[in-house]
Amino acid sequence: MAFYHIISRREAALAVADLSTGSRSWPIWTHLGLMDIRQRYRRSRLGQFWITLSMALFVGGIGLVNASLFKAAAADYIPYLAASFTVWTLVAGLANDATGVFTQAAPFLRQAAIPKTVFVLRVMTRNLVAFAHNLAIVPMVFLVFGVWPGTTALLALPGLALLLAAGFCAVHAVGVLATRFRDLPQIMQNVVQLAFFLTPVMWRPEQLGPQARALLSFNPFAVYLSLVADPLLGRAPPLGTWLAGVGLLLPLAGVAWILFARFRARIPYWL
Amino acid sequence: MASIALRDVCVEFPIYNAAGRSLRRGLLRTVGGGLDGADAGVVRVQALRNVDLALAPGDRLALVGHNGAGKSTLLRVLSGAYEPSSGEAAITGRVASLLDITLGMDEDLTGRENIALRAAFAGLTRRELAERMDEIAEFCELGAFLDLPMRTYSSGMALRVAFAVSTALTPDILLIDELIAVGDAGFAAKARARIESLMDRTAILVLASHSAEILESYCNKAIRMEGGRVVAAGTVREVVGG
Repeated sequence: MAFYHIISRREAALAVADLSTGSRSWPIWTHLGLMDIRQRYRRSRLGQFWITLSMALFVGGIGLVNASLFKAAAADYIPYLAASFTVWTLVAGLANDATGVFTQAAPFLRQAAIPKTVFVLRVMTRNLVAFAHNLAIVPMVFLVFGVWPGTTALLALPGLALLLAAGFCAVHAVGVLATRFRDLPQIMQNVVQLAFFLTPVMWRPEQLGPQARALLSFNPFAVYLSLVADPLLGRAPPLGTWLAGVGLLLPLAGVAWILFARFRARIPYWL
Repeated sequence: MASIALRDVCVEFPIYNAAGRSLRRGLLRTVGGGLDGADAGVVRVQALRNVDLALAPGDRLALVGHNGAGKSTLLRVLSGAYEPSSGEAAITGRVASLLDITLGMDEDLTGRENIALRAAFAGLTRRELAERMDEIAEFCELGAFLDLPMRTYSSGMALRVAFAVSTALTPDILLIDELIAVGDAGFAAKARARIESLMDRTAILVLASHSAEILESYCNKAIRMEGGRVVAAGTVREVVGG
């Protein structure tokens, strides 16, 4: 394979060392990730519960408007929106934060030999903590509208694991590219905004025709969204979606590996 | 055991102007074919050229040279932050670099939280931090201010915290870029004593400074840098005096 020769044995060994020491340095990345959250809401009375509150307001407001627009029962639509939008926030947050993962850490990276993976995991921690706050809305909404997903909800865990694995690869890849090409953060914002409309967050896949629906398996955002949000709503994702989730992970990991192993050492020079 | 071995180390920086950094420009360039070479819009700065350096425990290296000679870049290579663009750098031992002691400190966090953050980076467990926190706090002499956000601190107070935490651990390799005075006269004397004891305990010291007097009192070897190259090596007297 042509790509094989792009990465020297030494670069590969250093990249593996970065990934493993980085992952094992959990006290650093959990600390940084939690601090990011605390800092954003410092000096505000509600603190990080603003995350939860904003989500509640959004789901309540948009839920009522869209339920009448789509002529759906609010009792049916609002729980759907709560679950899908909560998961969407995680996906979108990871995508957007990925572009700043190394530039944000410039003072650290310029001065000490800290594994780059530490900062990838910091971004993931930060987004997972926000996700946990948002997730609090879902059972409340379910309670209000009398929805009970049953044990199918547990399928959200393997779904979340796949989503996070894909996120781990994507943040590495996008982080490297965005450090070198400073237009990428802007491009990414637009991609995420566009993806929001192309992904069944506010609307349901069933509202599409069969052909358009088949296209959704090529939208990575839709695939990982469905793997977590569907089980939360008590629906097991179809086998095809699981396969797409695993299938997308492989090329993603390949691209991330090539970019990271090849350019990891250049990151401090690009800052 | 601590050691530093640099072999034929070069550091080359690409400086991208705004156009060179944009993806659009990169794409257009690919499409247009290599009219003006692949490096259009990129200036390359040779910060280090073919540097060889071997240090063992007991070595106290003085680093001299004009501004822009490559001293700071060399220190960053020694800290492990910069991996050489060519050549090899083998650094063993725990490195502490006092290049920018306010590294990663956040003014919205309290002094104590900043200390915890830095300690996490230095690889301290929560228990080790708890053991050292009192010593660090006592050294800063900030009292109750340590529990206030650092944005309420004067710059001198912030430096005290930064200095105290940067010097709390004994590294195997200590990198210092200019010994600066921290705080008011009383604190500066205390800080000097603390850093001297640190320099004594560390296995390898690399100190960049413009003061011949400082270098002579702390170092036992020296290199002079010019334009990214090592142009002289020897005793401090030979290199600095010459």
